[in-house]
Amino acid sequence: MSNLSRRRILFGSAAVGAGALLTACTSNTPQENTQVNTNNEEANPNAAPGQKVVIGFSAPAADHGWIAAITNNAKAQAGAYSDVELRAVEAGADAATQRAALATLIAQKPTVLVMLPHDGKELNAVGLEAMRAGIPVVNLDRAFPDRAAYRLQIKGDNFGMGIAAGTYIGQQLKSKGVSNPVIGEIPGIDSLELTQERSKGFAEALATFGFKVANRRPADFTADGGQRAATDLLQALPKMDALWNHDDDQGIGVLAAVNQTNRKEFFMVGGAGSKAAIDAITADNSVLKATVTYSPSMASSAISLARLIGQNKGMSDLVELQVPKEITLASETITKENAAKYAKLGF
Amino acid sequence: MTDQTTKASLPAQSPPVEAPPAQARARGNWFKSDGAEPLRRNLGLIGVLVVLVIIGAATRPELYGDATWVKNNTFTILQQASAIGVVTVGMTFVIIGGGIDLSVGAIIAVAGVWSTTLATQSYGTAGMIFTALVVGVVVGLINGVLISYGRLVPFIATLAMMVAARGVAAQISGKQTQVSANTTINSIASTRWLGIPVLVYILALVVAAGWVLLNRTTFGRRTVAVGGNPEAARLAGINVKFHTLLLYALSGLCCGIAAIMLTSQATSAQAAMANLYELDAIAAAIIGGTLLSGGRGTIIGALFGVLVFSTITNLFAINNLSTEAQNMVKGAIIVAAVLVQQFRYKSLTQLLGRSSS
Amino acid sequence: MTTPDPARPGRSADSPAPGSAGAAIPEQPAGDRPPPTERRASEGHSASADRPAARDEPAPAPEGRHAPEGQPAPEGQPAAGDRPATEDGHTPGEQPAPEGKPDRPNLGDVVLRLDGVVKTFPGVRALDGVQLEVRAGEVHCLLGQNGAGKSTLIKVLAGVHRADEGSITWLGQPFAPASPQAAMRAGIATIYQELDLVDDLSVAENAFLGHEESRAGFLRRRSTAYRTRQILARLGHDHISPRRLVRSLPAAGKQIVSMARALSHDARLIVMDEPSAVLAHDEVRNLFRIIRELTAQGIAVIYISHRLEEIRDIGDRVTVLKDGRTTAANLPARSTPTRELVSRMTGRTIEYVFPPRASTAATEPLLQVEGLTREGEFADASLSVRAGEIVGIAGLVGSGRSELLETIFGARRADRGTVTLNGKRITSIGGAVRAGMGMAPEERKSQALLLDEPIYRNMTLSSFAGYARGGFTDTGKERAAAAETAAALELRPRGDVNRPIRTLSGGNQQKVVVGRWLLGGTKLLLLDEPTRGVDVGARAELYQVIHDLAARGVGVLMVSSEVPEVLGLADRVLVMREGHLIHEAPASEIDEATVLDLVMAGSLMEGEPA
Repeated sequence: MSNLSRRRILFGSAAVGAGALLTACTSNTPQENTQVNTNNEEANPNAAPGQKVVIGFSAPAADHGWIAAITNNAKAQAGAYSDVELRAVEAGADAATQRAALATLIAQKPTVLVMLPHDGKELNAVGLEAMRAGIPVVNLDRAFPDRAAYRLQIKGDNFGMGIAAGTYIGQQLKSKGVSNPVIGEIPGIDSLELTQERSKGFAEALATFGFKVANRRPADFTADGGQRAATDLLQALPKMDALWNHDDDQGIGVLAAVNQTNRKEFFMVGGAGSKAAIDAITADNSVLKATVTYSPSMASSAISLARLIGQNKGMSDLVELQVPKEITLASETITKENAAKYAKLGF
Repeated sequence: MTDQTTKASLPAQSPPVEAPPAQARARGNWFKSDGAEPLRRNLGLIGVLVVLVIIGAATRPELYGDATWVKNNTFTILQQASAIGVVTVGMTFVIIGGGIDLSVGAIIAVAGVWSTTLATQSYGTAGMIFTALVVGVVVGLINGVLISYGRLVPFIATLAMMVAARGVAAQISGKQTQVSANTTINSIASTRWLGIPVLVYILALVVAAGWVLLNRTTFGRRTVAVGGNPEAARLAGINVKFHTLLLYALSGLCCGIAAIMLTSQATSAQAAMANLYELDAIAAAIIGGTLLSGGRGTIIGALFGVLVFSTITNLFAINNLSTEAQNMVKGAIIVAAVLVQQFRYKSLTQLLGRSSS
Repeated sequence: MTTPDPARPGRSADSPAPGSAGAAIPEQPAGDRPPPTERRASEGHSASADRPAARDEPAPAPEGRHAPEGQPAPEGQPAAGDRPATEDGHTPGEQPAPEGKPDRPNLGDVVLRLDGVVKTFPGVRALDGVQLEVRAGEVHCLLGQNGAGKSTLIKVLAGVHRADEGSITWLGQPFAPASPQAAMRAGIATIYQELDLVDDLSVAENAFLGHEESRAGFLRRRSTAYRTRQILARLGHDHISPRRLVRSLPAAGKQIVSMARALSHDARLIVMDEPSAVLAHDEVRNLFRIIRELTAQGIAVIYISHRLEEIRDIGDRVTVLKDGRTTAANLPARSTPTRELVSRMTGRTIEYVFPPRASTAATEPLLQVEGLTREGEFADASLSVRAGEIVGIAGLVGSGRSELLETIFGARRADRGTVTLNGKRITSIGGAVRAGMGMAPEERKSQALLLDEPIYRNMTLSSFAGYARGGFTDTGKERAAAAETAAALELRPRGDVNRPIRTLSGGNQQKVVVGRWLLGGTKLLLLDEPTRGVDVGARAELYQVIHDLAARGVGVLMVSSEVPEVLGLADRVLVMREGHLIHEAPASEIDEATVLDLVMAGSLMEGEPA
């Protein structure tokens, strides 16, 4: 009996201790790294506080660093303006929930609406509806097919990313004099259009050098998925010359797999431009030699431009009195040489 | 191995009217009996594995000609199967016990994320492992309490947990990928003892422990009883509710172990990790001969189920075939395995006999 | 089940004495019957010409090897096939012949004939040359021990299995249904013991399940309901609403729905597998009334039951199966002596053997139950059982006896009252088992057995932890202990305790359940309907086992619907009715009639049920 109760006490105190430890363990303040335009009034007259602008903002629930960075950037940039009020609604897990969330947002009549849709085609109608209601829509990254559904479209260039990665790899291999290179590719979720565009650009750029992809193993934008895909790829290609991994987040896993198999004979190009990737490129101690950007800084820019639209201002460097209709960010190639310059854009 | 399976099916094709010599018939009957079902199934799965390897060797002879590569490839397959294999052991127990656990992937995510927060990492390796295991067990216990004492259907309770636990993981991680800075944890995946990866040892250990637990302990006996006929178990004096609770905790523990393995492999954890592991684990258990309605199943079969999946992935990778085709083949294998389970051995041979005559 | 007593009022009230029925063949007694002339016109030649011929025709004799003792002589026996038409006012002529099946047989025509039917399963020859002949409008009883092949035979007729050899003739055509649907379409409907109804569909939907009335894919609910109502009226149960959910019906109601389904297919032969097993006494009477009406409409019924009484009551002719063979065909149901029926089933001549009881020494009570109550189930139950004593509770299904037993065992929580075993309060199953209580529940398969597991694991289900060391099971010890108990209980087949328990007969499965508690060192055993689904031969062995237990000092508290069983086995009898223990007496001081009277609260004496 006493034996039993002693066991219970021991177990109980262990459980309490574990509970205390575990609760403490959730405290988690990761270094958030947001990209904010902090121009002051002297540098840019547009920065001067103006008419009050209410910006409605909606982006999918983030399960991935890039989307998280989009939301964080938007919030941070809005916070930098005294004349901007940001009303952010999370768009949940699918297009339908986002549609519902946007309906309530539109009902609140914000001055401008900034949204990263789950799917451009599925939310096209919502864009049209808001525009008809007199709310200018800033369409972020995933494009609406209907030009009437947005006032401004600002997006990255997936095809361009593939081109940039392919071009960098082609040039490097050419300069090393590799004639018949083995090139691997680790895309993200293969069924997404953006993945297909990236792969298409990659293949086209390589083709200009007469190269092609030897093997591609899709992952799922997660680190463990990247690790699995990379392990398979490395097993399938006992000797490899170059590797393009579409996404720096899953790249953590890809690099882990490379380290676990002790492979060093190839170089790797990343995608998106995360801070970890830029740091690794700067340090130059892994196979990761470059990354092609698809920067979430576009969210910051979207908020800035939404404010200008709301205040009826143009971009001061341009002659036009209004913000242009479409902006496509160039995918840039970050290497050891220019990494310092891009460090502040890493997410 | 394939020889054995074909040989086994031969005598059944001759009509059983003529009585063979008594001893031979006894042996043949044992092989055809229900008791030999797990053995037949495992032989079948080994046959499938052999066929897959033969296909691999035929399609990529230059790779299979290299002994070192073959050895490494075997380890790669085992390593890729390690985390999911550990989860499948837990899942097999839950299913034999008459339940189902849809939340395993989400439990891995919570355990992985919780054990890689900056605060947890500051407690070092032991702190991280402890956290992952305890979080796994606690989430499993919550499942168990909801099912045993809250009387929720296992499907519903663990479905809810699947959604909720991913939410908790996303909340803790702030939707970021949490990189593990702990070199000890990170090195688990890259270390080999006596030339064999540590992850493979972990898998072997968990499978062996699972086998002993199921086949040699009172816990295992209770599991089969509770899943086979809960009312009979209850009226025989077995505490069915408490045992069910323990089963889900066991599944949670396996998830905690898998979370460490995955964190080590990816050197990071995030809320979306271990995506769809629940389906892979259930499929592997089913392929391995575990009855979805409970009461019957084997750990070894489940291991073979995982290995079949892992080998298929490997086969498709080395041939640069699309993952779409791979998923179709996986689906077909699940269906085929369940069909084999439904057709009794006898009726299957009858079917073959009828179509051939 | 006991030797039928022809003088019992309940039976003589509704069934004419043997001998008088034969004389009454063509004549209808006056009363509320339709005019005889009309009946003659419709039935005409079939009744007056064919039937006597059919009656005189000797039973199709199975080959000598199947019936070593020779055939019963049918001569002089009244053809049992007559009775339905004479007793009830219904005649085939009244029933509008359903369309689509022109070859409707006349009453008394042979509709189904089986000859030398063989069905083999791996390792078992389940049917080994079955002869059977069924006539239109008769109730043909199938008698046999468990494992004699009755179930397989039904499944062959129902299209579940296909016969390997032999011929089946149905309405003059060779018959080999490829599926249950095909059998249904041909007019053979089967009502299984475990009714195959969908609980969450309505009565009408169940009746027409699988052949729903529809137009362009849309269900015709109104017309289905109308037709169902018609069928229910035909069954004399038009008070059941076609829209009612089957879940809400009692067992008897569900059986009516099963029959409605059979009639919705326009069945000419209805096979009933132990239909009375789930019914209370007056429900059985109602069932018999329906069966009589159906047979009067020319429908043939194959009736399977363990209860000889019922066979005598409802049956016309009896075919006996043993080990997959017909050992006697077409015996007259009412006049064949019990001794003969039993001997053809078992090779034995005595139906029940109750071992002699040595009187138990008066010891302190082992089990003490005080004022036990569960609202709506039973109230204020107090009883005691001494070591080595057998206490029997007699009561109908629904009297609260099973609930009482389960509550004593801790499987149900009592609202009030206490249970003590050897001075220990019992509130949970775990506590009950630890204190030395064991229970063999009513539903063996669903409540007691792990059907896929071997015998020894079923036997050690409540004691395997005791053989274990540090949590590790010791299957060697378990097997040895199980084998020893199996031998002591004369478990058959002997020897191998590794066989799956599924392969054992009902009686032997029950022995395993009893053995489970013997292994656990149980001091008090609760038995709920210990001989349900156990054939006559195995019952005697079980009785012996129960006596041996008591002789060893184990207290036994048993519940049974079969009064002779309670009287023959127990030292003391408790009578339960509507949740109350209403009477207690030593078994030697009470007789069957008294117990029956108490159990039924006089309903038996009232004669015809309403």
